[in-house]
Amino acid sequence: MEIGILSVIIFLPMIVSFTLLILPFGVYVTKVVSFSISLVVLFLALSIYSDFQPIGTMQFREFFPWIKSYGIHYSLGIDGFSLTILMLIAIIIPCAYLMLWDGDEPKSYWASMLLIQSGICGTLFSLDLILFYFFWEAMLLPVFMIIGLFGSGNRIYSTLKVTVYTMFGSLFMFVCILYLGVSYYYEFGVWSFELSDIVNITSIRDGYRVFLFVGFMLAFAIKIPLFPFHTWLLETYSNAPTGGVFIFSSIMAKLGVYGILRFVLPIFPDIFVLSAPYFVGIGVFGLIYFGIAAIMQYNIKKMFAYSSASHLGFIVAGVFSLNMYGMSGSVFLIVAHAMATGGLFLLVGVMERNMGIKAISALGGIAKKAPFFTVYFAIMMFCIVGLPSTNGFVSELLIILGIFKFNYIVGIVSTLTVLVAASFMLWMFQRAILQDSDNDVSKMVDLGKKEILALFPLSVLIFVMGIYPDWFLAKIEPTIQHYLFDILKVGM
Amino acid sequence: MGDISYLLPLLFVGVGAVVLMLLSYTKSLSISSIAKIALGFLVLAFISNVYYFGELHKVYPYENVFFGMIVSDTYSVYFNSILLVGAIATILIGWDYFRPDRRFTGEFFSLLLFSTFGMMLLVQSAELLSAFIALEIASLSLYVMIGFQTDNIRRVEASYRYLVLGSLSGVLFLFGTALIYASTKTTFLGNIGVELLPQTGKDISLAIGGATLILITFLFKISAFPFQNWTIDVYDGSPLPVSAYMASTFKVAVFAFMLRFVAMDLGYIKDYWDGLLMGVIILTLAYGTFLALAQNNLKRMLASSSIVHTGYLLIAFVSIDIIGESASSSIIYYLIAYFLSAMGAFGLISYISSSDKLRLTYEDFKGFSHVRPYMSAMLSIFMLSLAGLPGTIGFIGKFYIFSGAIEAGYTVLATSAILATFISIYYYFKLIALMYFYPSPILSNVPPLKGLPPIFIGFIAIAVLWGGIGNTFIAFFPSIDFLIDVAKLSHRSLFLQ
Repeated sequence: MEIGILSVIIFLPMIVSFTLLILPFGVYVTKVVSFSISLVVLFLALSIYSDFQPIGTMQFREFFPWIKSYGIHYSLGIDGFSLTILMLIAIIIPCAYLMLWDGDEPKSYWASMLLIQSGICGTLFSLDLILFYFFWEAMLLPVFMIIGLFGSGNRIYSTLKVTVYTMFGSLFMFVCILYLGVSYYYEFGVWSFELSDIVNITSIRDGYRVFLFVGFMLAFAIKIPLFPFHTWLLETYSNAPTGGVFIFSSIMAKLGVYGILRFVLPIFPDIFVLSAPYFVGIGVFGLIYFGIAAIMQYNIKKMFAYSSASHLGFIVAGVFSLNMYGMSGSVFLIVAHAMATGGLFLLVGVMERNMGIKAISALGGIAKKAPFFTVYFAIMMFCIVGLPSTNGFVSELLIILGIFKFNYIVGIVSTLTVLVAASFMLWMFQRAILQDSDNDVSKMVDLGKKEILALFPLSVLIFVMGIYPDWFLAKIEPTIQHYLFDILKVGM
Repeated sequence: MGDISYLLPLLFVGVGAVVLMLLSYTKSLSISSIAKIALGFLVLAFISNVYYFGELHKVYPYENVFFGMIVSDTYSVYFNSILLVGAIATILIGWDYFRPDRRFTGEFFSLLLFSTFGMMLLVQSAELLSAFIALEIASLSLYVMIGFQTDNIRRVEASYRYLVLGSLSGVLFLFGTALIYASTKTTFLGNIGVELLPQTGKDISLAIGGATLILITFLFKISAFPFQNWTIDVYDGSPLPVSAYMASTFKVAVFAFMLRFVAMDLGYIKDYWDGLLMGVIILTLAYGTFLALAQNNLKRMLASSSIVHTGYLLIAFVSIDIIGESASSSIIYYLIAYFLSAMGAFGLISYISSSDKLRLTYEDFKGFSHVRPYMSAMLSIFMLSLAGLPGTIGFIGKFYIFSGAIEAGYTVLATSAILATFISIYYYFKLIALMYFYPSPILSNVPPLKGLPPIFIGFIAIAVLWGGIGNTFIAFFPSIDFLIDVAKLSHRSLFLQ
């Protein structure tokens, strides 16, 4: 049996994590090992990136039987979508480790982070529905630990809440997966949960298919979160430790979108097209609703939580706009937003560590104390609000074009919302960071060398992707074309 | 080797029980050496049993003596292995618990072997009367085992409660057998089914009544709604190793017999039960969940959650006439999954409580992971498996049960089971949250991680994990597929001539 590169990316962090937990190493060794493992993963991901052929099909396939009697396979593979998110994860996780380096968390924190990385990559590569579910749920456990052990405030309550909430969605998805598998068995006489087999099912009645579609969408909508499944968001984000918030906002939420693209779209293409107007509506509504909610917040972490949810609504609207612009814009925004929000939450984490406060009104005048902090904060902020020459601009422009093609009234509404939201965010930036004030910010310390180094690649990428988007879009366009023409059959 | 080889497991346990009873008269033997002797007999039985494991066969040993009342097939070998492992596990887990100052004497082990003997006989009986005798041997020994510590009023109460209710259900079984005999003139499994075929043109209403009475006994023994009332108090009142033994083995044996009976004979009658059983399942799931949510004591929570697990098992049971093999193999697999997880959980708790008398509430486990990280990890694994999270054997078990239910068209049942699973996350995860997320430990005097029981429980924990991810990558090691294949073979062996 040959172990493929994708398996190495999945299981290396997991094995290392367990080893670290068992062996009596100190925190420092754990940090060094974790960081170097994330670099190894980055290196492997880069090698995949260079070998990846820009065609629409699955590559780097790994396929072994797992539970033969039920046709469950250990089946891995990547296409343009998963490659994009893999690269994203591979790049931002080492940066996040550097940013978190100076925190005083014990080694179980780092071990959990490694486990989360494994779970995320497993979810990302799985092409078998049961295997996907396996990683999807397994990922929850270290997240559960990280919030419960290292969170603040009413952490135990919010841990149980987010666990129960996401479990609710995934268990219904589990029933739907089983239903699909059983239908396949009845139609073809053999068991299979392989995605490429499941898409061939024709025997399920339309009414049931709508139920199945809803079951899948529920799981993903809770994870993203889409309106109205966002009620776990605020508590989790404000009580989770910085690393946990970072994982939630920049990676796990994106996996929800990824799940829609990977599974919902190919399995239910017709329902996907039919329901597109509703989801564009929900997405744009989320954009507006969460945008307003973000403006109302006094706490900077909560404000970013809502602004993150607002962008995710925008991403979903782009995915459901059923055209090249919207979809590639969404994939692009997944990356841009992960970098920017991830960076912002990490920066807020630094601020919290130094000053211990999160209210916007208690800040102000940080710019003079911490110039590097301010520069990075500004770059991430510009990316979020979509200032030209950042990748945020490119992706938001593409999505807006996509929504305009879908329906121009919705297009106008979303454009206006983005503009207004941008101005509010910049106003906040001015109040919290630039403006002089009487507040005592003397405890604020500027970023250290490690942190400056950590955010440097992200900042460079934000501009490179903003100025030369074609370099990156070329890798994903064939996949999107394949989805639009061959699966959805909607043309351009 | 001849017929004797098929009876060896039963013989070893039965003879062992008698030998231990005689030995317990001599006061010169210490309790640990008696335990060792009991263990020896059980291990011998296990070895002679494992010899036929996974081999497709069906034999009526010494037919001229037993007239086909006792059968040995792949099915019985499979279940006997579970039961024997259960008995062995009970002794190993309770190694530090069974002490003379707790009034445990040699007779206890004799009773344990008698009870195991009864259960094995139940699994192997191919006739209703011998099944009744086997059931009563197993139950009577259990009643005494529960009340063995006569100085403790709760033990005696639990024992008495179980005795009264259990005897009532036993009587129903006997009456049901009589009715079936009145209708079909036979008590042999296999022949009953032939007599009940619609082609014979008989009035089978008596047999339906009789079979329903037997079903009630069955529902009582596995503590399904509305016969679950005894469960929590009896489990809570028993010594912990005995609770572990009851929870993990007795249910297996009763299920094994009922599965055999229904699969071989009651295909036509089962249709009359469908509505009834669906109601029973949904109420069992709902009521068990409700009870489990309300508990504050860990032992009572596990007892209540065992009712929920009964509900899951019944889902596969109700679909057995539609999808036959996959339903019964999913029951067989789920039973082993539940057996391992419950044995591990009960065992670990009983080990934790073996040194001092704790109530073992949720609160007691606050911050437990800081004093005993490995024990917390093991307990978490068992909780995750009971909750059915991926990566544990509980997940695969639930996967089979639910996919079987959908396959048979019982999507409503699968959905309600999913709801019960969803709520169960709360009461299982609560323990994990308490163990890990609180700083200061309250539990004092917890025994350290050493000696026989923790090692054995560690093995169970590894088995639980392996059952959730294991596959054929690692050679010479039983994989999930292997267990499923054996489960399917076991089902097939029921119908051999």
